[in-house]
Amino acid sequence: MVVSEWLFYAVAVAALVLGNALAVSSASENSKVKIWPMPASASYGNAQLYLTNDFGLSSNHESQALKDAFDRMLAAIKLDHVIDANFSAFSPSSLLRALHIVVSSPNEQLQYGTDESYKLMVPSPEKPGYAHLEAKTVYGALHGLQTFSQLCYFSITRRVLEVRMSPWTVIDQPRFPYRGLLIDTSRHYLPMTVIKKVIDSMSYAKLNVLHWHIVDTQSFPLEIPSYPKLWNGAYSPSERYSAADAAEVVSYAQERGINVLAEIDVPGHALSWGVGYPSLWPSKDCQQPLDVSNEFTFKVLDGILSDFSKIFNFKFVHLGGDEVDTTCWTTTPRIRKWLKRHRMNESQAYQYFVLRAQNIALSHGYEIVNWEETFNNFGSKLSRKTVVHNWLGSGVAQRVVESGLRCIVSNQDKWYLDHLDTPWQEFYINEPLTNISNSKQQELVIGGEVCMWGETIDGSDIEQTIWPRAAAAAERLWTPYDKLAKNPREVTGRLAHFRCLLNQRGVAAAPLAGSGRAAPFNPGSCYEQ
Amino acid sequence: MLLFSLKPHCKLTFLVSLLWLSLLVDSNSGFELDESLTYIWPLPSEFTSGNQTLTVDPTLSLSVLGKGGYSKILKEGFERYKKIIFKHASGISLFQKWRGIRSVYDVSELRIIVNSDSEELQLGVDESYALFLAKNDGKPIVGAATIEANTVYGALRGLETFSQMCAFDYETKSVQIYKAPWYIKDNPRFAFRGLLLDTSRHYLPIDVIKQIIESMSYAKLNVLHWHIIDEESFPLEVPSYPKLWNGAYTKWERYTVEDASEIVSFAKMRGIHVMAEVDVPGHAESWGAGYPDLWPSSSCREPLDVSKNFTFELISGILSDIRKIFPFELFHLGGDEVHTDCWTSTPHIKQWLNDHKMTAKEAYQYFVLKAQEIAISKDWTPVNWEETFNSFPSKLNPRTVVHNWLGPGVCPKAVAKGFKCIFSNQGAWYLDHLDVPWNEVYNAEPLEGINNVSEQNLVLGGEVCMWGETADASNVQQTIWPRAAAAADKFHFFSTNTPS
Repeated sequence: MVVSEWLFYAVAVAALVLGNALAVSSASENSKVKIWPMPASASYGNAQLYLTNDFGLSSNHESQALKDAFDRMLAAIKLDHVIDANFSAFSPSSLLRALHIVVSSPNEQLQYGTDESYKLMVPSPEKPGYAHLEAKTVYGALHGLQTFSQLCYFSITRRVLEVRMSPWTVIDQPRFPYRGLLIDTSRHYLPMTVIKKVIDSMSYAKLNVLHWHIVDTQSFPLEIPSYPKLWNGAYSPSERYSAADAAEVVSYAQERGINVLAEIDVPGHALSWGVGYPSLWPSKDCQQPLDVSNEFTFKVLDGILSDFSKIFNFKFVHLGGDEVDTTCWTTTPRIRKWLKRHRMNESQAYQYFVLRAQNIALSHGYEIVNWEETFNNFGSKLSRKTVVHNWLGSGVAQRVVESGLRCIVSNQDKWYLDHLDTPWQEFYINEPLTNISNSKQQELVIGGEVCMWGETIDGSDIEQTIWPRAAAAAERLWTPYDKLAKNPREVTGRLAHFRCLLNQRGVAAAPLAGSGRAAPFNPGSCYEQ
Repeated sequence: MLLFSLKPHCKLTFLVSLLWLSLLVDSNSGFELDESLTYIWPLPSEFTSGNQTLTVDPTLSLSVLGKGGYSKILKEGFERYKKIIFKHASGISLFQKWRGIRSVYDVSELRIIVNSDSEELQLGVDESYALFLAKNDGKPIVGAATIEANTVYGALRGLETFSQMCAFDYETKSVQIYKAPWYIKDNPRFAFRGLLLDTSRHYLPIDVIKQIIESMSYAKLNVLHWHIIDEESFPLEVPSYPKLWNGAYTKWERYTVEDASEIVSFAKMRGIHVMAEVDVPGHAESWGAGYPDLWPSSSCREPLDVSKNFTFELISGILSDIRKIFPFELFHLGGDEVHTDCWTSTPHIKQWLNDHKMTAKEAYQYFVLKAQEIAISKDWTPVNWEETFNSFPSKLNPRTVVHNWLGPGVCPKAVAKGFKCIFSNQGAWYLDHLDVPWNEVYNAEPLEGINNVSEQNLVLGGEVCMWGETADASNVQQTIWPRAAAAADKFHFFSTNTPS
């Protein structure tokens, strides 16, 4: 009894000591390296460098995208401050005159799996007066520019942009190839300027997929040239996106290294389609899901996906498939008859619809993402090119990858941003690979996504509902597992720092304090709220 | 036709939708725009419209006339508004233009006439303009779109109105102006149409301040009242007393002199004055972080020590420094909520009061008047919060502008005594009162209780106040808008209509 009690205490004390030691080591990196998300590897010194007033770009790679990104990066670190330092007062060896970028691949096509790695050295070990950034692709270089921007500070006393703690060597690459954010333009229309601001802010956190949930029950804001009456389902004449607007969103995102995953959610969540084409409804009083018995339904879907393929050039398209309540199919006589003739019950009809939609998408060259209900109901029937998008709860990814399909994790209890009471700490600790230890299966989890459903958010509050909580998930998806904080408390200061950086860049990121999304409780420094 | 169905990802939505449904049934105006309304905010003082639709050329060009036509402010303003008007891609192809189809558009040139070449921006600057929009009908003498103004700032107001009349039509993919021909003559009702920002309770990054200035110009507000400093933090650089900004929250939450100048010139480009505030002698605890001598004692830190010459030397130094930044003729000296307990409880100040045979209340008056003298010596017109007027009205410098906030009925008293007044009744126009809805903001009237025209003329205008205790960069914009716009309409257009 006495022995076992002693053992208990010894183990407890050892655990405490060990735990503290770990906390101290990562806490020290977290307090010194103010980069979000934390790079795979970062080493630093204790010298100070200053950017000259004509700090410029030099590169082996002639690229407009890179030039534009460099200019954006420079504007983001200047933050509208007036630089008027007395440069003659600095020692010449402490000045940085340019950033030299080496990109090894000339291919500027952004696609799923594009290499995003980079290596950043400030200053360059070979070229004095230069910082050095190398990457396989221009998109890796964009991430390197983001990291560089977070190393630079405007010194308010010296009126100069400075890099502290040099020399820096950052070697970095993402943990997951898919790091997404969902926006929902059906519940509330989001103006183009708002979407672009969201895309800008995503690039600061190195997120790389904008999942655009364009259409839902409430409204159909997008122009579909093949079926021009579909956008009669828009809320109003002005709450719409033309096909050219959508193409503009895609190219704006690509310039920032972000893919756009378009979603057309079928057969549920599609009531608004029928405003322009009422024959898509089972009946006037029973308007959802889309009429499975009507060939026109699939013609329209084919037209939509055909138009999509000209605008959305990401490898994947999202076909939804969630929350299908088939009551309208069984209560509408015409459809009931059709079901009978085809010897289908309504859950078979649901499967029939989803699989047929998948085939149409495949015929347009897309691979498919579907919400998890499709997997939960008929996983073995799904196209092998399906990526299953988890949302209902935990444990789904495990079953999906065991079946050999790929998975995106978005369990709603942790990664739904419209759950306003979920605090950032919960976003941080949500681990996509929970209970998946086989490395082959781990690779099938292509990443995760935080979801900004739009029922109660619009252009007025979307930014502070997304940030800083999406940033917590962004680090989970970017940073190697071993470098992630075991206790989110260790990263509080660094995340607060990133949140203030977002504010300085004009993004309305909310305070960290409070449980979930909250306004500041009282006066105080941004860094402490 | 009402479309409605239960929808999933959020449980709340059902209730929200029901609410929305009932609203729709009530008003029946959710989807269809009511064509009888004029969608210009604030509403111009005079306008007539017709029933033509004009198309606007996405390569819209500017032609200028008049002495002030070549102003940089005008040119940059035109480019800004062009970006706003043409944010969508046009559907009419260049090909059509190349084929020689001339004037596919009704409006391909905006003519702006500016009579004066003065770019001076001062209180009462002429902001009037006339805007004329009609089909050209091949008459080259009359431009299809013309703005005429006496100053560039009037022209900017006209551009704002023009931009609100241009709507992107998704069917034709072109920008259109409905209900033409338009003839608009507009002139603001008040010269002072303000918004207060508080950068002491929460620091606001420069980018955020610029976004707010930009949005003010959309509602034709024209004064940014910058409550820079308060007891919580001192974010501004004062070169003569460089330790003052030790009172900033952190080294990153600061404004350099150049930053402040940049804000002033950014505002000027949009016809917006910046009225700086240095609130004395209360609300000044943060000053002592760098100069603890300014505190009555280290345990009793407010108001500023009235007994020391250093206090007034320092105020004079601050005002000299920032006079170079803020060219606007009005300067706000605060003077509100002064609790003099620290003066009477600190021995050396109590002694000083005795020596000078002053009560604490008289010392408050002494302080405010001395600060006013300093401001006037720098060629500023002092603005003070109403407590100064409520406590010693006959002693205030006659040039003082009284800034109301505590409640209704103050401006009538101030103007009766010949003072100018700014209306900010907190019950209606304090934006940090989150439970005041826009229609109550709208219903407040700056001239309430003032019938005599010469007294009415002493009311410079009004201001909505965005105090920063619970508003920071994350929520300041939606706390300001749309309620500030309700006040903006009041500033601009005299309406007896009550909102519905």
